Amino acid sequence: MKLSTFQLRRGAAAPAKSADAYDEHHDQSKRAQREADWWLTAGTLLMGTLVLGVVGLPIFLRGVWLQRRAQESGLSVRPIIVTLIGYLVILDAALNSLGWALDLIANHTLINRVIITAWGNFFDAGYFWHYNELWIGGAGAPGEKGWEVALMLTVFPMRIAAAIAFLQMKRWGHQWMIVTCWFGLVIWIGYTFNMTMYADVRYDGVVLPVIGWWLYDIFYITPFLAIPYLHTVNREIFSD
Amino acid sequence: MNDQDRRRRRALIAVQIFAYGFLLAMFLIQLHMYSVRDW
Repeated sequence: MKLSTFQLRRGAAAPAKSADAYDEHHDQSKRAQREADWWLTAGTLLMGTLVLGVVGLPIFLRGVWLQRRAQESGLSVRPIIVTLIGYLVILDAALNSLGWALDLIANHTLINRVIITAWGNFFDAGYFWHYNELWIGGAGAPGEKGWEVALMLTVFPMRIAAAIAFLQMKRWGHQWMIVTCWFGLVIWIGYTFNMTMYADVRYDGVVLPVIGWWLYDIFYITPFLAIPYLHTVNREIFSD
Repeated sequence: MNDQDRRRRRALIAVQIFAYGFLLAMFLIQLHMYSVRDW
């Protein structure tokens, strides 16, 4: 990884450090970054499985703490905000892909028929109404399958790739994060309007109509939160 | 902050107001439907 945010040493007039000192600083920074990334990645992978989310969170938080400690001790590591945005984008895309892949591909499995329809019965009858009755199984709500196929085959993989490059502080990572965050805006405007249009299908007979869905999904409606940061950050910190 | 930055910031604020306003509108429409239909 190319170094991004040099902590300028105080007292620039001090005698120039030898090449060895620079190399050592470089190695230390790399090691610290790698260690933090190990915890962050493990935590994100666990949280990305949905069911192991509770296990993954403390592991992820330890990674954030390591990252912060490395930054505070003056090592040249990735900024915290870039770390958070990058990993959370990966997590968001992974969770969405997993849930929808289960619905699109694994819709006749026992676990899917139990969990997804139970969820549908509770919050969103789009995952209950005529479930497994159309020519592709799974959710039968109007428009839902269109969103599943479109987003899983385009935006989510692009987003995960972009976030990985973004975490590596590459310029194309920054650029593609901007592109896919704008996609996020399109997704949520389209999805929520589709849902509102067919609200009579999706909320009829469920346990917690409207409020339940919004409480559950408000956490997903975040991909465009990063847009202001991405457009105002000094882009020179991302290298080719 | 130069003029370009100021314009960029203003545009970003406008976009955010639009996006969150739209989502809020969807939520309120659904709440309204919830109150008038027998869900």
